[in-house]
Amino acid sequence: MLFGLLLFVGCGRRTNSFLENELHIVRMERESGGSLEGVREEIQACLQDWFGTPDDPRWPEQASELWNLEIEKLKLASGPVGRREDGIERGLYRKHCAVCHGLAGDGVGPTAGLLSPYPRDFRRGTFKFKSTPIGVKPTREDLKRTLLEGIPGTSMPSFASLARTKHFEDDIDVLVEYVVYLSIRGEVERRLITAAALEWDFVEGRFYDPLLKEGTEAYTRQQDRLTKELRWVAQSWSQAEKSVQVAPESNLEFSENSKTWNLDMKSVERGRELFRSQLTGCSSCHGPEGLGNGTSKDFDEWTKDWTIRAGIDPDRPEEWKPLRKLGALKPVRNSPRNLQLGAFRGGSKPEDIFHRIAYGIDGSSMPAVLRASTYPDGLNDDQIWDLVQFILSLSQIESRIQ
Amino acid sequence: MVDLADQKKESIEPWLFRVAATMTFMTFPLIWVGGLVTTYDAGMAVPDWPNTFGYNLLLYPISTWIAGPFDLFVEHGHRLLGIVVGMLAIALVAVAHFRERRAWMKLWTWFILAAVIGQGVLGGVRVLMDERTFAMIHGCTGPLFFALAMGTTVMMTRWWQFADSNLGIDKRLLLWSSLLLVAAICQLVIGAQLRHIQVWFRPVTFTFFVHLHLTFAVILTILILAVGWLSGSPAVASSKVVVRVSQILIALLGIQITLGIATWIFNYALPWQELNRWLAIYRIDARGWRESLVITGHQAMGSLIIGCATILVCTVFRLKRVRL
Repeated sequence: MLFGLLLFVGCGRRTNSFLENELHIVRMERESGGSLEGVREEIQACLQDWFGTPDDPRWPEQASELWNLEIEKLKLASGPVGRREDGIERGLYRKHCAVCHGLAGDGVGPTAGLLSPYPRDFRRGTFKFKSTPIGVKPTREDLKRTLLEGIPGTSMPSFASLARTKHFEDDIDVLVEYVVYLSIRGEVERRLITAAALEWDFVEGRFYDPLLKEGTEAYTRQQDRLTKELRWVAQSWSQAEKSVQVAPESNLEFSENSKTWNLDMKSVERGRELFRSQLTGCSSCHGPEGLGNGTSKDFDEWTKDWTIRAGIDPDRPEEWKPLRKLGALKPVRNSPRNLQLGAFRGGSKPEDIFHRIAYGIDGSSMPAVLRASTYPDGLNDDQIWDLVQFILSLSQIESRIQ
Repeated sequence: MVDLADQKKESIEPWLFRVAATMTFMTFPLIWVGGLVTTYDAGMAVPDWPNTFGYNLLLYPISTWIAGPFDLFVEHGHRLLGIVVGMLAIALVAVAHFRERRAWMKLWTWFILAAVIGQGVLGGVRVLMDERTFAMIHGCTGPLFFALAMGTTVMMTRWWQFADSNLGIDKRLLLWSSLLLVAAICQLVIGAQLRHIQVWFRPVTFTFFVHLHLTFAVILTILILAVGWLSGSPAVASSKVVVRVSQILIALLGIQITLGIATWIFNYALPWQELNRWLAIYRIDARGWRESLVITGHQAMGSLIIGCATILVCTVFRLKRVRL
């Protein structure tokens, strides 16, 4: 048995290439009604030419003018774990992230099946906790903050110890760069698969031909067609910094002795009414007491991506189980937070909660509230602060609220 | 007039036991530090072997070692501790050569030395090939060497050579304690798969090993309790060693289950985090001291259980048979 196990784990090494996004291929094949078998290899060849391999990452020139990644950092994050002959550390992504997030950032690392929530699949380009509105990419600072602070109540750890340790201070920046790289590579892959399924006419020849001579018409056509997708993704990342939304500063103070915020009871009461109103709809998911027991039973956004949007019913195991071998994890439903526990994954400060309410949480069922600046019936900042105070009050002992 | 048995007792070389016990004692911190190497993924912190960044292992500047990155500190420290255990194994061979009267034991000490060298070479191969599979095998054979050292120490004791073997020990005890040892080794191998997980594993593989690990935890619990129950019988009660080791195993089992649960929480958090407030707000501190000590402690405690099971098997075996 011992030797059997040892042999079993030693075989099948696959670190020289990124795994294909087979679930998206299945989805697109179902959507287009045709087979993508003929272009799968070409898409992977194109991606490898642009982005390299897990051991030797590259950054495509075609995207450089829009969004640039530091190739030196990518090289430190890639490859197997260890130190080079010159003592510099390498393989940081595999050391800290890949066991959960997977080598390709697909969220299907070895441990993924047993974690709740599942590790994030970076390839959609969707990140939950950020300073930008829904639909906009996060900034590097947003990703850095998630790495430093971790996400309480989940398997995502805080790497603050690492950042404080001599010799490892720069590791977080290296990891952020590599996560962005994986996300861009993954989203470009999705877009190429989608383009091949919905826009590409196979009679035109090969989807990607690396042997085409530069300057020829065919080469230019191919470049235009493929780099369009690459540039779209790079452009979306370049927009992030300009889209940052800063929550107004809170006047609430936290008492270290009592571990509570100095809440205003009148504001808490106004917040309670808003929380239970149809205007905000908070209680439909979080429940009237904020216990997370509302009536909404929607599926998780990452689940919907390969099930509902591919015409697969996540409630019918016979439909989704065959896809497990392609990297599908068991479908999960959204679980609205139990606000009485005081565990806020995007940050526990009043400003963080304000931000979540005002701008929503990407990739989740938590929408941004309607704002008075845009809609006559929308909420103004004071009303959002009332909601924040009510939410904070749920996890505090009533007697301590001032 | 001094009788023959007393003459033999006086001829026992105490240094054999002392050297064997010191070697066993030093192997445990070696396993701990080896566990830290895995916890911090520091197996390749030094890219060459047997040298350390081009220096002879023993001449690597101590200031660079102490003040360097923690992964280098742990890996180089692991190698130095390995040297210490290796030297003790050589000392054991030397003392046995001159003072051991049992011919088979002299050979056995050579086997121990070969095992230490083999373990070191395995660690070297892991580095030279940059291959995690060898790290996993090295992580399995380390505790096995610890068990060998434990067994050797037992066989070096005065008790082993002169104990009364007519206690009429329950036959089932030998069977159950042997099963316990085998199960503990299997559990070690399964745990090593989880500790040295490869990034290209599919979730189904990891999930399988987690379930297997839990299954063997149940099997081990049953076996340890069964051994504890059998050692309470009147015939065995006269052997204090068996009773005491069984009690220690039960205590270790309790600690190990606690460490196992904590290891999962500190590594991955529980999937039912909203069960209570602590779990909901708990934030894993990657590479934190508390987390690292618990995770490494779980592995080291597994080695200790194997070591105690080895003592138990050796003791029961000795009590049931004529001395070797």
